[in-house]
Amino acid sequence: MGYADNMSESVSYERLVFKNASVYHYMKIYLILDSDDRKFNAAHFKQIVISALRDLYGEIGAAFPFDVLKFEEDTLTAVLRVYNSGLVKLWSALTLLGSYHSEPCAVRVVQVSPFLLALSGNSRELELD
Amino acid sequence: MSNMAAFIDLNISYTADKKRLQNIIETAAHLGYSTVAINHVVDFQQKKQEVGKPKCVSELFDQFPIVQGKSRPIKVLNRLTLMVSEASHFRTTNEFKLYDIVAVFPKTEKLFHAACMSFDVDIICIAVTEKQPFYFKRPPVNGAIDRGVFFEISYVAAIKDSTMRRYTISNALSLMETCKGKNVIVSSGAEKPLELRGPYDIANLGLLFGLSEGDAKAAVSTNCRAVLLHGETRKTALGIIHTVKKTQPTTEGQEEEEAPASKRMKTEAM
Repeated sequence: MGYADNMSESVSYERLVFKNASVYHYMKIYLILDSDDRKFNAAHFKQIVISALRDLYGEIGAAFPFDVLKFEEDTLTAVLRVYNSGLVKLWSALTLLGSYHSEPCAVRVVQVSPFLLALSGNSRELELD
Repeated sequence: MSNMAAFIDLNISYTADKKRLQNIIETAAHLGYSTVAINHVVDFQQKKQEVGKPKCVSELFDQFPIVQGKSRPIKVLNRLTLMVSEASHFRTTNEFKLYDIVAVFPKTEKLFHAACMSFDVDIICIAVTEKQPFYFKRPPVNGAIDRGVFFEISYVAAIKDSTMRRYTISNALSLMETCKGKNVIVSSGAEKPLELRGPYDIANLGLLFGLSEGDAKAAVSTNCRAVLLHGETRKTALGIIHTVKKTQPTTEGQEEEEAPASKRMKTEAM
């Protein structure tokens, strides 16, 4: 009898439903340049993103919080973290970035997700048929 | 129904530079566009402009680049844009039938009204390099929506220059005030591969132009598809689509002669 009672206490199920559990969005992006002889480090890269924000949204836009979580210098790939409320702003600023120091460049957004784990595989290159 | 959500960019600027054109189309395929249209512009203000035959797209590639995530080659179409500043400039000619899409860029309010209400076109372009010279009035815009004609905003000017970016956004917002996000397409107008942006980026950019989230995505997918179908009906007799079924390898001698050599070999072997 005692054994059965123990079982019912230790095995219990709880159902939790989260809505918009993450306060952040993560973006995986890479930068392409016309000439590939320029060297960039993470600080430079953040400067580019801030200047893109300033071009579109002005000084207040440039001050809004985002983080460069990771930056690979050889592939110019970066992972950005931004609050949900700033996602549209950051994304549109990156989209309209056309040049940096009068050198043409473009930002390709590979993935956007509220969960960092999702960036480990690319959903856009899945073949569904 | 995978066709429904396919991304389409209806404005790749034509250049005589074949290499560059190939480069742009490759980039578009890589970004996930399943159809692009090469834009041939005819400006009647310049002298001796005529609507000529479009360049044959099959000359561009031996094998068209594969669309990202689709394992299918990209589709390339021809589009004609007429810059119209006087009513006499717009004359429907037989050459229109050679193009998959016909667009018009009206320079005056009177012509904008005419373009919305009566011109037999698929797209009406909205100025992005200058301040909109007239207000969008409700009757012509509603007329265009009823007729299934779409308004086009191209984003390349917004990438190149900050002043033009202002014009692009303000003209787009004033259009949205009257059309409420209906019948709008967003296209690139790219002249270089670096000026292209991915379809999801553009769906996000649409929010900046005052579109809703759903309308912004439709502006690069379903609305563009509607434009293509509108163009198709213009090329044929309004609403009837004529298709030719591919000849299948049969035993009839006459049909066998029409089949390409490789196919004939196969049927003989069988």
